Amino acid sequence: MTTLLARARAIRHSNTWIYSTMLFSALVSLTASLVLSIDAVELARNPTADLSCNINSVVSCGAVGLSWQAQLLGFPNAFLGLIAEPVVITIAVAALGGVRFPRWFMIAAQTVYTLGLIFAYWLFYQAIVNIGALCPWCLLVTVSTTVVWVSLTHVNIRDDYLPMPRAWRGWAREAIANDIDLMVVVAWLLVLALIIVTHYGAALFS
Amino acid sequence: MIYANVKADSSYEGAKIMGTEAGNRHTAAKKAVASARAGQRGHRTIMVIGGAVIVVLIAAIAISVITAMNDGDKTGADGPLVVPATATADGGLKVGTGPVAVDIYLDYMCPYCGKFEAANHADIQALVDDGTATVNLHPLNFLDPQSRGTEYSSRAANAVATVADKDPGHVLDLNTALFENQPEEGSEGLDDAKIADVAASVGVPQNVTGTFEDRTFVPWVTQSNDAAFANGIEGTPTVKINGVVTDVDLYTAGPLRDAVTAAAGTTK
Repeated sequence: MTTLLARARAIRHSNTWIYSTMLFSALVSLTASLVLSIDAVELARNPTADLSCNINSVVSCGAVGLSWQAQLLGFPNAFLGLIAEPVVITIAVAALGGVRFPRWFMIAAQTVYTLGLIFAYWLFYQAIVNIGALCPWCLLVTVSTTVVWVSLTHVNIRDDYLPMPRAWRGWAREAIANDIDLMVVVAWLLVLALIIVTHYGAALFS
Repeated sequence: MIYANVKADSSYEGAKIMGTEAGNRHTAAKKAVASARAGQRGHRTIMVIGGAVIVVLIAAIAISVITAMNDGDKTGADGPLVVPATATADGGLKVGTGPVAVDIYLDYMCPYCGKFEAANHADIQALVDDGTATVNLHPLNFLDPQSRGTEYSSRAANAVATVADKDPGHVLDLNTALFENQPEEGSEGLDDAKIADVAASVGVPQNVTGTFEDRTFVPWVTQSNDAAFANGIEGTPTVKINGVVTDVDLYTAGPLRDAVTAAAGTTK
């Protein structure tokens, strides 16, 4: 049991595991972005289009897709996913193939992806507070973006790439070695689920 | 990598042990074992705390989901189909007995329906009162997604259908009053109590307004809504005069009244 746990922990910190997770999540994110982009084009052509994910008054891609927040930069946000996720996929595949990226590259990736994460959560907040509707593909993007960001951060802390004060680096490495990141992510995703079910309640299932 | 670091650390410990006196070697090894155990204990504590938090969260989600699913019935959407007493076969609420049929498709969340209503409600009332027209109101609920999950369109339409069933004399008054109190599109809309207040203000008795929250007619509203869109309605407001969609200006007073009066001339 203990050795099994130790082995699982060792695997969790291996390149194969981290980059496979990143690859899988980035593929999920890319798929969701593609669906959302197609929906955005469909909605532009016909605002009352009956999208497959218009399930009820709360679970509705249409209501989200027609909001101004869905086109913050003047074009559908999902296009950003189509631009960014292939880069993440490339990094993950290359790393799985044994490529080691220089520190500046990983810092750049971390910086850009952090902006993406902030954007994803701003959209989540808008969907909950101001739009009042959820779209399943957008939620998938929120979750997969979180997982990609966590795996990227995991690898950058593990390799000591992040420009942080020495004390913070030690603390961060300690946290990762103790699997605190894993628990925080699982708890965090559960908190998101809890926010959704408590905020929308019965309307989700009607 | 961490695994490799652990190895590096222990070989470092090993080097230290080898570098010390034999007497100290034992203590150092003991220390290393103790610190490894402490690390394991620390990890176990973290696992226990993290696991507990996760279990609590899962339980909270499960409870919320179960509560929500039990509450789900209150939206009325899954209830049996109850048809209002004055309903027409195609989902209208019949008011008046005049020869000209005026079908009005509307959604209480739709801003243009509010403009239509403001321009025409006096004429519509007059056409019904003088026996020129039978008005069939079709309150739809396709704008439910525009009320942040409160399904205002369904609730308002249900209130009107309830009044049509139990107090038909007040249907047009309630229709007008709901548009006078129309919420902004995309807001949560009026709550059930406020809808009841609006109905009471036009004279609907309390024993009728008290049943709004039962949402008895929501399945009927949904059925009418779907029927309307299946039969070629593309948006609201849409007005049919004797079954034909009219293209007169709906947002100024007069043109609709004239069109209905003209139809009355040919109908008679």
